[in-house]
Amino acid sequence: MFPVFQPESPEAQAIYDLFILVLMISAAIFIIVAGLIAVALWRGRSRAILPKQDFGSEKREIYWMVGPILIVIWITAISAKLILTVNAFPKIQPPGDEMAEADLTVTGHQWWWEIEHHESGIVEANEIYIPTGKKLRVKLQSADVIHCFWVPQLARKMDVIPGRENYIWLEAGKPGVYQGRCAEYCGNQHAWMNFKVYALTTDEFAKWESGEKVAPGTPAEPAAVAGEKLFFAHTCSNCHTVAGTVAQATIGPDLTRVASRKQLAGGAIENSTENLVRWLKNPQAIKPGCKMPNFKFSDDEARQVAAYLESLN
Amino acid sequence: MSTEVATQYELIEVDSTTGLLSWVSTVDHKRVGILYILLAVFFLLIGGIEAVLIRMQLAVPGNTFLSPEVFNQLFTMHGTTMVFLVGMPFFTGFSNYLVPLMIGAKDVAFPRLNAMSFWMLPFGAFLLYFSFLTGAAPNAGWFSYAPLSTKPYSLGPGIDYWLVGLIVMGVGSIAGAINIVATVLCMRAPGMSLQRVPLFVWIMLMQAMLIVITIPPLNSALALLCVDRWLEAAFFEPVRGGSALLWQHFFWIFGHPEVYVFALPAFAMVSEVIPVFSRKPIYGYAFVAGSSTVILLLSYGVWAHHMFAVGLGTSANIFFSIMTMLIALPTGVKIFNWTATMWGGSIRFSTSMLFAIAFLIQFVIGGLTGIMFAAVPIDWQMTDTYFVVAHFHYVLIGGVVFAIFAATYYWFPKMTGRMLDERLGKWQFWLWLFGFNGTFMVQHFLGAMGMPRRVYTYADNPGWALLNGISSASVILMVVGTIVLIWNIVKSLLHGEVAGNNPWDAFTLEWATTSPPPETNFDSLPEIKSRRPVWDQQHPEYADWKFAKTPEDSGRRPDRAKVCAWAFVISEAVFFVLLLVTYVVFNSQASDDGPSAETVLDVPRTAIFSGFLLASSLTFWFSERSLRAGRRKTFLFWLGTTILLGIVFLCGQGWEYAGLISNDVTIDRNLFASTFFTVTGFHGLHVTAGLIALAIMFTLGRKNHLTKVHSKPFEAIGVYWHFVDVVWILVFSIIYLGAFKL
Amino acid sequence: MISEKLWNWTSPVWLVVGVLLIGYLIVGRGRTQNQLAIYLLGLCVLVLSFVSPVGVLADGYLFSAHMVQHLVLLQVVPLCILLSLPRVKATKWFQSPRRDRVGRLLAMASIGWIAGVGAMWFWHVPLFCSAAAQRPSLGAVRDLSLVLAGFAFWWPIYAPCERYRLDPLRGIAYLFSACLGCTLLGIYITFAPLSVCPVFASPVDRIGILNSLYDAGLTPGIDQHLGGLMMWVPPCILYVGAIISLLCRWYSITDSTTEFVPGSAKSSGVSL
Repeated sequence: MFPVFQPESPEAQAIYDLFILVLMISAAIFIIVAGLIAVALWRGRSRAILPKQDFGSEKREIYWMVGPILIVIWITAISAKLILTVNAFPKIQPPGDEMAEADLTVTGHQWWWEIEHHESGIVEANEIYIPTGKKLRVKLQSADVIHCFWVPQLARKMDVIPGRENYIWLEAGKPGVYQGRCAEYCGNQHAWMNFKVYALTTDEFAKWESGEKVAPGTPAEPAAVAGEKLFFAHTCSNCHTVAGTVAQATIGPDLTRVASRKQLAGGAIENSTENLVRWLKNPQAIKPGCKMPNFKFSDDEARQVAAYLESLN
Repeated sequence: MSTEVATQYELIEVDSTTGLLSWVSTVDHKRVGILYILLAVFFLLIGGIEAVLIRMQLAVPGNTFLSPEVFNQLFTMHGTTMVFLVGMPFFTGFSNYLVPLMIGAKDVAFPRLNAMSFWMLPFGAFLLYFSFLTGAAPNAGWFSYAPLSTKPYSLGPGIDYWLVGLIVMGVGSIAGAINIVATVLCMRAPGMSLQRVPLFVWIMLMQAMLIVITIPPLNSALALLCVDRWLEAAFFEPVRGGSALLWQHFFWIFGHPEVYVFALPAFAMVSEVIPVFSRKPIYGYAFVAGSSTVILLLSYGVWAHHMFAVGLGTSANIFFSIMTMLIALPTGVKIFNWTATMWGGSIRFSTSMLFAIAFLIQFVIGGLTGIMFAAVPIDWQMTDTYFVVAHFHYVLIGGVVFAIFAATYYWFPKMTGRMLDERLGKWQFWLWLFGFNGTFMVQHFLGAMGMPRRVYTYADNPGWALLNGISSASVILMVVGTIVLIWNIVKSLLHGEVAGNNPWDAFTLEWATTSPPPETNFDSLPEIKSRRPVWDQQHPEYADWKFAKTPEDSGRRPDRAKVCAWAFVISEAVFFVLLLVTYVVFNSQASDDGPSAETVLDVPRTAIFSGFLLASSLTFWFSERSLRAGRRKTFLFWLGTTILLGIVFLCGQGWEYAGLISNDVTIDRNLFASTFFTVTGFHGLHVTAGLIALAIMFTLGRKNHLTKVHSKPFEAIGVYWHFVDVVWILVFSIIYLGAFKL
Repeated sequence: MISEKLWNWTSPVWLVVGVLLIGYLIVGRGRTQNQLAIYLLGLCVLVLSFVSPVGVLADGYLFSAHMVQHLVLLQVVPLCILLSLPRVKATKWFQSPRRDRVGRLLAMASIGWIAGVGAMWFWHVPLFCSAAAQRPSLGAVRDLSLVLAGFAFWWPIYAPCERYRLDPLRGIAYLFSACLGCTLLGIYITFAPLSVCPVFASPVDRIGILNSLYDAGLTPGIDQHLGGLMMWVPPCILYVGAIISLLCRWYSITDSTTEFVPGSAKSSGVSL
């Protein structure tokens, strides 16, 4: 329920510990200050006489600042230490091929995420499969405006900025599904730019990897074949990729494995045949302003295209 | 200059003291102040309605009450409105009304400039809100991050209206702030040394200075974005070599001090209210005042704490973390001193005091969450979530708006002559207290639940619906509270209790005159021998000057035209420094992408024309000397020469531009061309403006209106003219000399 | 051992410090304990900045260490020396017209400002920066010029005689604008894509510590960032501190007496 307070990686844990510490200090300061104010008000509530006209004392001003100064130095020091740890990337010496150092490249698009695994070359959309317990170096880049990559339980936030490459660590301490979001306002559908991180055990991850490498299926049923025709007749291939076909564009998500995904449209809807059909019929009704136009498919046509997409997996 | 012109137009002044026209044409600081406040109230209602709509949309998950377009426009306009059309006018209004009264002046230093500054505001507001009629209000957020705000991602005219509206309002704000600075420095009554001014005045002086140096970075960012959007440059388009982060840097160099532009006046108001209702002087005057100065200085060095998540690098993160932590200290000094002021006091729990106390507590909460954000790793988790929304609303509503309410209940009797109803006031207080905390306290938890900001809707995640529901429902209390306040004001204006001069037994000079004060403010002033002249008058046996000595007034006051010129020049200098920084950022790396300074600029030729401009500074100095010596002929001769030299320089610029453009080096060609034309173009505009001012002086001189005794405005223009030359020296050395090869 | 190589015990700075110390003990009669402490502090910092690893690394290895040394020379040493001058004696010393003229010249804010900020900017033009780092003689000139510039800079704020000091409010503007000057230079150095001082981009490995430096993360890029921040943070904090002291000075012009002695209070307010 409180992902920030349920860290599942060493980095998130360290940040959580710092947060709790500062929270406690803050709570203590608040209680002291509010308490002083309350006492002052209580004591002065019905004083009828003219109180002593006190103009202040330089000594007292200096004394009561000692505490705050020490606290500030303390918090600064511990947070600086944590900054150094979290930002400690393997040094590139000599500076050069940074690509080789990243395990994953995540590209922010309006309004979806593209994920590329460097070793296996697998491309995903809005879902990141990672092996548990491995510290992965993630390169963040943007295809259009500024986004922000955030998986509260696993890592710090990092902005995804066009014309710039940012790097973060991504690591999951135990297997599970972790919600991620775009945290920087990036236009119309900023709300539906969610993604999920699936941390698998090493075996499962290997299984998943090999599964991804299997060539996509070929449409066999008549509905799927008809859907394939519609897909290529309606310029879908101008934006999307389907492995092994002429569709190789990267404006929209790769659709080769779309049927295997748990959610569609950046988390706006769950993935089911019904929802896929609904989406194909009018994406603008589900995610108004998204880049996919309304192709005005009839019910049957939408079902056929959905059948085609599902036959690929 | 303005004093000069003022006397000329005195004759056609509309002679009316009542009616609508008298308000439109007024130059009385009190009326202008009230106009500011009324404008702020109007837009507080508009911005409030926007906020209510936002909360209605977010009340339940998956809501379709508003479309994403409308929602995004609403939160953009809510932010922009609250910052530029509510916060700034409220404080400028109070400052306008109260500062001259508190320092025992008849009016502000430049009444006409004051009226102009005000009228810029509704004009800018009109431009901003006109965008709704075009069907595309700005929707890139009040921070308008590039590249989302550039043409490829925001085609509609919304952002353009936003840009123009903000520039207009920004210019008005700077003019208004310069006026306050000049008023405080030059118009104080005898005996009122700067160390004796009420804290409200001192802190508002700090705030005005902050506005003078903090709006120009915004203006330069806006100017660059305008060039991007209208002339197809690419400052902020990474695809064409621009930088997405440059906008953020510039915006937050403005944006963070802007937070203190709001916080300082809130401090100022509370620093008056708390002592009066504790029946004690402020504890540690020098520390409260000095800490405001320190805040002013530090606030300029903390902007990048809004950018901890952009990946600036370890060292920058640590630096801005330290600076942000440091700024907590002067704020802490203030909190302690206010508490110490109440300590041992005799507290009167008036509505005003209640709001001030709530301010104190809520501001501490907002400040402490601020410290959490200064610890960078926490910021990495919590920034851009509802935790941030809660944090800054605690500062801006829990702190600033509550302080405004305290000020309203405190000074309303002075402004209208009638008391506000205390019973209704307390109703409003409790409604707002629960409404505000109900709305925003739960948002801290929403942030920890991972809810990002600026989303138009959300999935039904566990807990989100409940907390959002509580948040939205609590808004109703604030709405009702606002209605109670309006009812209270109407009731009081119709048949409120008559206030008298000094209903609170307060300390400062505004309470020494009638409520509302007469047009000239004071019939007679009490003797000013301490920081609380009215207290001294009311309680002669406990008069402050007997117990606490304060530095005596030297009686010297700087010339207001010169103060105005210097403040203006400082503000312009910041503007140019940022433009030059832009030039350096984009040209420090050699790129073979099209023309560069090395390949297209004719350095020797420009050097010759620069000589003309620099010579004009010298001739100006001659003419100034002649004016002071009373030699009219030589004065006019040298002034004419100055104008001629300036024109020659402009012609040289024109020649250079013509050559460049004929070689197809235009502003949209590449980043060198864009930065070059922007920097030199703005300088050229300033030279032109200077020439116009000089021409006016020349005409006045010819008609014998400019004589020895009136030399001050002329000297003020001189400050500006020399400044334009100094800027050119910088421009020339950075752009031209950097490119010069023998 | 690396740690031994990092200390330069035979630095000529000892000579300078020795002369300064003896000079102060002879000249600075009438000093208070505090002033002596401040003076010694200044000398210690001076010695450390040359003898300690800072000094060794500043010599051709690390731009950031080089920057620390600059700050010590420009800000700390002159400030300490000025603060440690005995007031009464200095006031007497500056009574002769010729010395007074020097004092008044230094009191001109524009001179101090240009000297202080200008020296920093001047020695970070890549050409001069490299030249001074490579030639010891030029390096000595640079160090000396920094100390002198520092004197000129702090003079209008902390001159030993009251009459050479700026009015506190002007002093604040002076320091604040200088702070902005440092900030701009700091930003330029921190974010400049090019190498400000090319010598440090490819150091000559005199004592074989370069690799361990790189291993510790102090690559030339990071090093320059740190240098920029050194230019930026410590001076600004120092200036803010000085501003606070000026504010105190301003508010306490007559604030010192808080006790009211009946009959002795002069009514000095101007009545209308």
